[in-house]
Amino acid sequence: MELKTIGLTKKFGSKTAVDNLNITLTNGVYGLLGANGAGKTTLMRLLCNIQNPTSGKILLNGKNIVGLGERYRNLLGYLPQHFGYYPDFSAFDFLLYVSALKGLDEKAARKKSKELLEAVDLSRESKHKIKTFSGGMKQRLGIAQAMLNDPHILILDEPTAGLDPKERVRFRNLISAFSKDRIVILSTHIVSDVEFIAEEIIMMKSGQIIHFGNPQEITSEIDGQVWECTVPTAYAEKYAAAYNTSNLRNTSENQTILRIIGDRPPMENAVRVQPTLEDLYLFYFKGGCEE
Amino acid sequence: MKKLILFELRKVFSKRLALIALIGIILFSALLSFSTFQNKYAFDQNIGKGTGKTAVEIDKEIAAKYEGILTDKKVQQMMSDFAPTSDLHGLSAIYVYQNAMQSAAFSRFSDKEGNWNGLSVSDVFGNEEIKIGYVDGWLSTSRNMVRVFVALALAVIIMLAPIFSGEYEGVDNIILTSKYGKTKCATAKVVAGIITAILTTTLIAAFNLLLAFVFYGTEGLDCSILFAPSDYVEAFIPFNITCGTLLKYQILLAFTCTLSVTGITLFLSAISKNQIVALVAAMAIFLFPVLLPITEVNPLFRLVGLLPIYHVLAISLLSVEQMSNGMLYAIWAIPAALLFLGVGAGISRRVFAKHQVL
Repeated sequence: MELKTIGLTKKFGSKTAVDNLNITLTNGVYGLLGANGAGKTTLMRLLCNIQNPTSGKILLNGKNIVGLGERYRNLLGYLPQHFGYYPDFSAFDFLLYVSALKGLDEKAARKKSKELLEAVDLSRESKHKIKTFSGGMKQRLGIAQAMLNDPHILILDEPTAGLDPKERVRFRNLISAFSKDRIVILSTHIVSDVEFIAEEIIMMKSGQIIHFGNPQEITSEIDGQVWECTVPTAYAEKYAAAYNTSNLRNTSENQTILRIIGDRPPMENAVRVQPTLEDLYLFYFKGGCEE
Repeated sequence: MKKLILFELRKVFSKRLALIALIGIILFSALLSFSTFQNKYAFDQNIGKGTGKTAVEIDKEIAAKYEGILTDKKVQQMMSDFAPTSDLHGLSAIYVYQNAMQSAAFSRFSDKEGNWNGLSVSDVFGNEEIKIGYVDGWLSTSRNMVRVFVALALAVIIMLAPIFSGEYEGVDNIILTSKYGKTKCATAKVVAGIITAILTTTLIAAFNLLLAFVFYGTEGLDCSILFAPSDYVEAFIPFNITCGTLLKYQILLAFTCTLSVTGITLFLSAISKNQIVALVAAMAIFLFPVLLPITEVNPLFRLVGLLPIYHVLAISLLSVEQMSNGMLYAIWAIPAALLFLGVGAGISRRVFAKHQVL
């Protein structure tokens, strides 16, 4: 399966959210990274055909997804960043409803809903009304609904938001097991989530792709630019403010290890270390959200 | 598809506001019927006087005495039976209410002293054969139904305003990315809207008829509305139709109203970004035409009268014209409703399918 964007552009007034994007996605897990406002959500909505591009098109196996209509949506699973729900529906009923929307027959819908509620650890709460759920529970329900139709293209926008570490691990395992022969695209701010499961990383900034490759390939750009140095804890904050610091870790004896990204060693005792995806992310998005 | 329709119906009927509206209308109907029944008053020199159930029994007993075709002989008998026996202190006998039959007779055949005004049945009604009997109960029911059906239309708006716009508050991105989200789901919403309108109208109409049967019985359905007590505007409908026909038209018009309102609300729900906007806009569009300075004597009323509010304010629309096939002009409310519904349903499906998630 091949999902391809050609000159994909989306503008909101004078702001270009997605800028002339040309990418080809084949089976695999893609991690979409970028600061807030980088265009990730807009790209996902365009891929889901719930926003029309200003220009350009999206092809699935050479065919425009707009023309494919139901056939395309039948292959699609989507977890939006923020999604609504029906407060008086139980989790199970909500999944049955989404199953009906996805065209599953009654028997298959019940079976699949039970399986997925088990997979996201909501089986005990399956009969509870959604309005009684915590944010994390709603998020897990959202993940379950996206997978109801065994989608060949699974698009997850911030799927781990609100999940505790144990749930995040469960989610990563679920996606890893599910992703064979499918296109899975997930965006997150939690770099470690994609680092573990994504085969390819798409890094977006100002609506454009600035990096596209596997984690080793794209972190190679900052090879030799990541340093670790030990400073007295009393001066740690001062150094952290002065340099592009990706991590601080206190050790015993009032010492702090700083992880600093820069062309040159920040101090004499700095030791060059292997860059991670998080280092790369911070290298590009130190400023936080984009305007 | 059936499953999707059932889910949509569940969504409609599980909303608290919708349930409040529905229960509110049922209570309103019951309260209106009961208070009307309790307020009934009748007096007859021979039988006595009373209110509520007693008044209804007195009116029925009097009606039984005169029931059948209205003749000049019966008019004379009424003028004699109901002649004032005490000083009216300057009041016009036409407006002094004793009982339903007296009020009907005096408003047409009496002068202000309570004497016969010299008019014959044919002078008042032409060549029409006027069947008289106990019509007070059914005409009260008809009058109450006008208010109930206006409230019903508003309740239907409350129930249907969120049908599309409610989804725009977050679930739209899940619906529109699912296989049938842009096709069968939109159709299911339209069908659920129509079913909601039909079910609710049937329930409320049946409940009001049931209350009428309980309070007033079945007498008088085949009697003319033209020989009604003086305070019923139904008697101004210038056609010799029976109470049964009046109620049939009124219930038919309730259905055409709620279906028209369904079309309008579906359309507004699909184009509005939130349900409050859809709700307010639909209510405003429904109610606005009553502010227009157009009465049934204006030729434009033939068009304006087909707007849904006039379907439930039935008396004006029923007064327009009796067509050569015997049907009243109000029958045009059916194609009008189908037009509102068809256009509203068609556009709303299309708008929802093309909705852009922002």
